Amino acid sequence: MTTGNDYAKPDIDLMAHLFRRAAFGASRDELDACAQQGYEASVERLLNPPDTRWMGDFMVRRFDHEASGMINGPGSARNWLYRMVTSRAPLQEKMTLFWHGIFATGVPKVINGRVLSEQIDMFRRYGMGRFDRLLLALARDPAMIVWLDNQDNHSHAINENWGRELLELFSMGVGNYTEQDIKECARAFTGWTIRNTEYMMVRSARDSDWPYGRIAYQFERRADDHDEGEKTFLGHTGNFDGEDIIDIICRQESTARFIARHMYHFFVADEPPVPSWPYTPPRDDAAIDALVAAYFDSGYDIGAMLRTLFHSDFFKAEDIRYEKVKSPAEFAVGILRMSGEFDVPRREMILRYRQIDWMGQALNNPPSVEGWHQGLEWLDTGTLMERINFASEQLGDADKPGVRAMAASIAGAEGEDAPPETLVERCLDRMGALRVSDETRDALLTLARRDAADAAECATQMMRLTAASREFQRV
Amino acid sequence: MSEQAAASELEYIATLGIIAMEGRGFEYPTDMVAASNGRLYVANRSRDFGERGVRVTVLDLDSEFYGTFGHFGSADGQLISPMCIAEDAHGRIYVSDDYTHRISAFTLDGDFALAWGTYGSAPGELNGPSGIAFDAAGRLYVADTHNHRIQKFGADGEFLLAFGGEGSGEGQLSLPWGVHIAPGGDVYVADWGNDRVQRFGADGAFIAAYGAPGREHGELLRPSGVAVDERGYMYVSDWGNERVQVLDAQGGFVQSLRGQAGLSKWAANFLEINREEGQARATADLDAAPGIADPRDPHAQSAHIEKLFWAPMSVKFDREGRVYVTEGNRHRIQVYRRASQAG
Repeated sequence: MTTGNDYAKPDIDLMAHLFRRAAFGASRDELDACAQQGYEASVERLLNPPDTRWMGDFMVRRFDHEASGMINGPGSARNWLYRMVTSRAPLQEKMTLFWHGIFATGVPKVINGRVLSEQIDMFRRYGMGRFDRLLLALARDPAMIVWLDNQDNHSHAINENWGRELLELFSMGVGNYTEQDIKECARAFTGWTIRNTEYMMVRSARDSDWPYGRIAYQFERRADDHDEGEKTFLGHTGNFDGEDIIDIICRQESTARFIARHMYHFFVADEPPVPSWPYTPPRDDAAIDALVAAYFDSGYDIGAMLRTLFHSDFFKAEDIRYEKVKSPAEFAVGILRMSGEFDVPRREMILRYRQIDWMGQALNNPPSVEGWHQGLEWLDTGTLMERINFASEQLGDADKPGVRAMAASIAGAEGEDAPPETLVERCLDRMGALRVSDETRDALLTLARRDAADAAECATQMMRLTAASREFQRV
Repeated sequence: MSEQAAASELEYIATLGIIAMEGRGFEYPTDMVAASNGRLYVANRSRDFGERGVRVTVLDLDSEFYGTFGHFGSADGQLISPMCIAEDAHGRIYVSDDYTHRISAFTLDGDFALAWGTYGSAPGELNGPSGIAFDAAGRLYVADTHNHRIQKFGADGEFLLAFGGEGSGEGQLSLPWGVHIAPGGDVYVADWGNDRVQRFGADGAFIAAYGAPGREHGELLRPSGVAVDERGYMYVSDWGNERVQVLDAQGGFVQSLRGQAGLSKWAANFLEINREEGQARATADLDAAPGIADPRDPHAQSAHIEKLFWAPMSVKFDREGRVYVTEGNRHRIQVYRRASQAG
């Protein structure tokens, strides 16, 4: 890929890269403001946002009632989408997507939208803190309990589902524990269930929202259903409860490596799907080592791992930029933040949620406990068409306040008569200081030369075309 | 507490409704009106603003079901996002629709009568209408939500007056919701974004504001509706606090209620027929939530404890002075009476 935007100074380029990966993109104005503060300060603001405002629950709940009562999964997903689209703490929201992809929990089994939403809130609360606290919150999370059947894990008859996935998919990865460890782990979590189990499970099995809508689940530890016997787990022996198991898990190097590899996969460059990790070495061993060291040095702190990652050479490297395909949620949220469609909650969010689903990512409804396969698997002819249509529809609608402002800024002052090259430069700039290939630039120039007479119309057409480019589809 | 205040306290009578996507029941009900024919007309928004759930459900206090009308669509007699509902002096039921920006009217039998309203911000135009109420002279006051004002119309939609405007000063409004005309003719507005109730004269002149932002007694958080009795006592659906508060005529605190729903006749009927569910419910303790993440958050509490108010959308009187609280997220109405009506 060749580069060549004159304005694309290295610090703006790097800042744009940071905001594509750690946020949902940023406007040129935002990038300029961040560049002025410096890269380190910008990373700190992402990690510790001073302003966590968003549209707000009250607004969403007043105007989108199912995003308040959350009978079903889409109500929860819409509440989350409003937050992603309007949040001033974008990394916090990006991390909810990160954890949702790993601790993938879905509506077909949980049924109850509110319970799924409370899990996303939990990711928001613990997702950039200590991993042991996050894992403990996950073990107590009612959505996860139901998703992996821990309400059926009894002292007299264990159900290994949660215990197995905790080790295989949520912490250590296959090859680092035995089948016996799974059983012992499951024993330690016996009695970790939800309150009113029988009634809630009858309702769940019947998909019942009668008589008065869903009732959200609550965690309950039933001492009378907990196996108090001695357990041996990963070489440690004792009368372990769930907390002890999580403590032991978090001390393992395999856990640190597992989370580090996920983080690398999400923020840096594609790794193969998790099931092949035992047989395929990481793309960058040194990067994983650095993240593992941050994990242990900080006392399992996810925020510290992220700080290490964002300051690393492997993250800043030129050859990883524009190489990761945006997930549908990242793609759509980035565009909706640009278009400004949701200055207030609108009925149209129902369709936006569905469009993201048609692109291949139904939030709160992952394809399996493994989550979504990422990278190029996001793209096929159908999903690519959905993405391009979505972007074209949003960015081609000059009634949307964000689009109107961007188009005016690209077109310039009335009577300015900006040359096509300038219009293209401004378009790429407003779309997030994009660097593009000669091929993309030529296509934009052809369009600008053809339509420059009507600069405002030309601007929206260029934005639509830019959104369809290889570079815009990626981060 | 004064004798008058004690007489104004609310006592629970009954619960009405059940969730249902069609027919008998409610789905995300937004408001109700107790009409002159003794029936209750309940506007339903549905779960995904969708084709099945949108309707007006007609029933009475004994849970007798009389049918539905005003189903999903944008044609005359149809609704997309119904919000609030009122009856005029001629027995016509009016419904505001905050998606089509229209006010539609129906006969008591549910036949379409008329509709008016166009989108915009000029005088007489509407942007997301919510609360509606008639005064004694048959003029309709509309909370023109996103224009942050109240507009007054003739019953057929002719524009008469606008007042309010965006802001937090006296007489200004922020996303107003419920509107109520007090027995003396003053206009009370649930000034949602400003966490207060405001009182205006029929000419739109500011008279008073009640409440301050907060969760303490007498404070309000995003109130959705207000009803005022003949002595000026206010019954406020304190939506953001998931409660109903009774305030005296000066705004002084009288009572706070978090809700105590029981089984409606329709709910009891459902659990009787669906025995497995009914039996499992009988063994459950639904009145406590010791394990929730933030026990101080009333919205979270209400998501976990079924009997509590969850999204109280409006407070309305019937002709006997009973008080009806429509709960959006619980798809039901809790009915109360004032202590003065006891016995």
